[in-house]
Amino acid sequence: MLTVLIYGAVTSAILAMLAVGFTLIFGVARILNLAHGAFYALGAYFAYTFTAILKLPLIVAAALSVALVALFGVAMERVLVRPLRQSSLAVLMITLVVALTTEQALFVAFGSQSKNVPAFVNFPIYLHGVSVDGQRLLALVIAVALIGALWLFIQRTRLGSAILAVSQDPEAAQYMGIPANRIFTIVMGLSAALAGAAGVIAAPFLSVRPTMDQTAMITAFSVVIVGGLGSIPGSILAALVIGYSQTIVAFYLNPEWTGTVSLVAILLTLVLRPSGLMGRAVGA
Amino acid sequence: MRRIVPLVTSAVFAGTLAMSVQASAAGKPILIGLDTPIQLQVGKDTEAAVKMAVDEINAKGGVLGRKLEYVTADEGTDPQLGVSAINKLTSDDHVDVLIGGYDSGVTLAEEPHIARSKTIWLGVGSASPNITALVGKHYGQYKYIFRVNPLNSALQAKQIVDFAEHVVKGQLHRDKVAILGESAIWVRGLVPVLVKGLEAHGIKVTYQQLFDETMTDFTPLFARVKDSGAQFLLTILSHANSDVFVKQLYEARLPMPYGGIDVKSMTPNFCSRVNGAAVGETTVNFITRAPITDKTIAFWDDFVKINGRAPVYTAPGAYNSVYLYAWAVEKAGTTDADKVIRQLEKADYLGVGGKIKFSKVHDDIDGPGYQNLLFVQWQKDCTRQVVWPKAVATGKVTLPPWVGK
Repeated sequence: MLTVLIYGAVTSAILAMLAVGFTLIFGVARILNLAHGAFYALGAYFAYTFTAILKLPLIVAAALSVALVALFGVAMERVLVRPLRQSSLAVLMITLVVALTTEQALFVAFGSQSKNVPAFVNFPIYLHGVSVDGQRLLALVIAVALIGALWLFIQRTRLGSAILAVSQDPEAAQYMGIPANRIFTIVMGLSAALAGAAGVIAAPFLSVRPTMDQTAMITAFSVVIVGGLGSIPGSILAALVIGYSQTIVAFYLNPEWTGTVSLVAILLTLVLRPSGLMGRAVGA
Repeated sequence: MRRIVPLVTSAVFAGTLAMSVQASAAGKPILIGLDTPIQLQVGKDTEAAVKMAVDEINAKGGVLGRKLEYVTADEGTDPQLGVSAINKLTSDDHVDVLIGGYDSGVTLAEEPHIARSKTIWLGVGSASPNITALVGKHYGQYKYIFRVNPLNSALQAKQIVDFAEHVVKGQLHRDKVAILGESAIWVRGLVPVLVKGLEAHGIKVTYQQLFDETMTDFTPLFARVKDSGAQFLLTILSHANSDVFVKQLYEARLPMPYGGIDVKSMTPNFCSRVNGAAVGETTVNFITRAPITDKTIAFWDDFVKINGRAPVYTAPGAYNSVYLYAWAVEKAGTTDADKVIRQLEKADYLGVGGKIKFSKVHDDIDGPGYQNLLFVQWQKDCTRQVVWPKAVATGKVTLPPWVGK
């Protein structure tokens, strides 16, 4: 039981890191970013490159990886998304192109075989007699810390208030002197950094493959739909619901069925509560 | 006279043409088609080993005075890609023989196309018994199919049972095993044979689960293996993500030794790739640097010298296949498929991993002196030791560092 509690928390934390960034950029810029999974994959591959190839210390490698993914997100927003922002369909298409191009680039650069990233914590930790992989516990701690920090940043800083203002009414915010475009860029950078960080901390115990963005994207999408598009608390709540459901299914039923949990959750949400657990009502 | 001159001219021209055609046929290279997943190590080593054999044979004058050449088509792990590869090699390149295969599902999809092209196919990587079963059912149509390597999954199951009886039960004193394997055609054929064989030898199977090869989190499975009361974990992995499997097993400190088939763990750098997490894992292999036959060490050293890496299991199969085909063509005196098949059926050829002889359904046979599974364990400092069969063992099986006696 304790095992399920701990592993469920870790799964939920990784899902939350993926989903919070995804929902943040939607909530602020109304961008449905299909390249969000690519940020996750890039985080993992940068970590692999810096640790396994360039032999950099783990902390340095992790910081560099997250920074580079954030820069990638910023560049994507400035160069590709901003010129097309008037058309949500065009934005959808360009982010899909970025996702596919990133996947192919990783495939060409690193091949199809999975890569190994060394763990930050390479020993098990015993909690009430249950052996838990140390790296997973670290992932849980980092995820909670990063999401907490993001929450504080948005609630307690001037820039955070500007982000909130733009998310509520970009036009009015602009009239009040808030540079909406710069806010979009910052939020895209934050969103990419969170997904990249999820890739870095999950890489040592999950698979690092060029196609890893797909599962990440589907899961982030599911969490955001269940939580309510644009709602950060909703995403965290949905990450807990889906993360624990997946873990319970994996431990007590069949690990092969975990993928269906997200799909069932989306289906139930769309039928019973289309706005999600904490989203604004549809059409509002 | 006026009539004779053109006739003589035509006759001389025709004769010259015939001679030149014959001369060019004699000099025309024998073309080998490689259908292999070239992105994967198994595919890269198939190609590297074929190149090695081709270069060696050409250096000695070729076959029937003809040079050997090869052309590669990527069959990936996708049946559609595999069929395209076969059709390209047979219809566009007009190869004389096909060497390759890795994924049994892909090979099964390719077989009707191979048969239709009437081109001999020497398999080096796929293990499903269904591949050669077709030769038995429809000999006339599928006689072109031969498996040089590896042993089919039923024979592998038989040899794993032998390992379980003598090493798991005999040496490690463990008689309860769990089985985890990927959900692939060859595994679905292997597991029932394995379970039956284990139980016949007094080894209880406490838990068995096949999982999708794309799975990336094995921790729940390990929890269930542990809860089942198993004392040894038998693994059957080929396409699955073994790196992650082994790392998670190590991180979970699963309290039992483990081993079986793990194709990725056959790769010489596997243990260092997973930062030593594989120490304690035993996996079957078909080649290692040990004097299995007079040719083994020379092949291994040459492969390492040329390619800068040790070979995986498809390499000896591919290398043997080129030599075997060259031998059969020399014997037949032609590349005519029917005549070469008759020679291959009679073959009792000493390869780098043992003698190669085909059963009635063109499957390589096992037994003393023939190709057998080697059970190789990753031990301290990521060194490898053959722990079974006894005749070629280089060390004793040890427990993973975290498992108490």
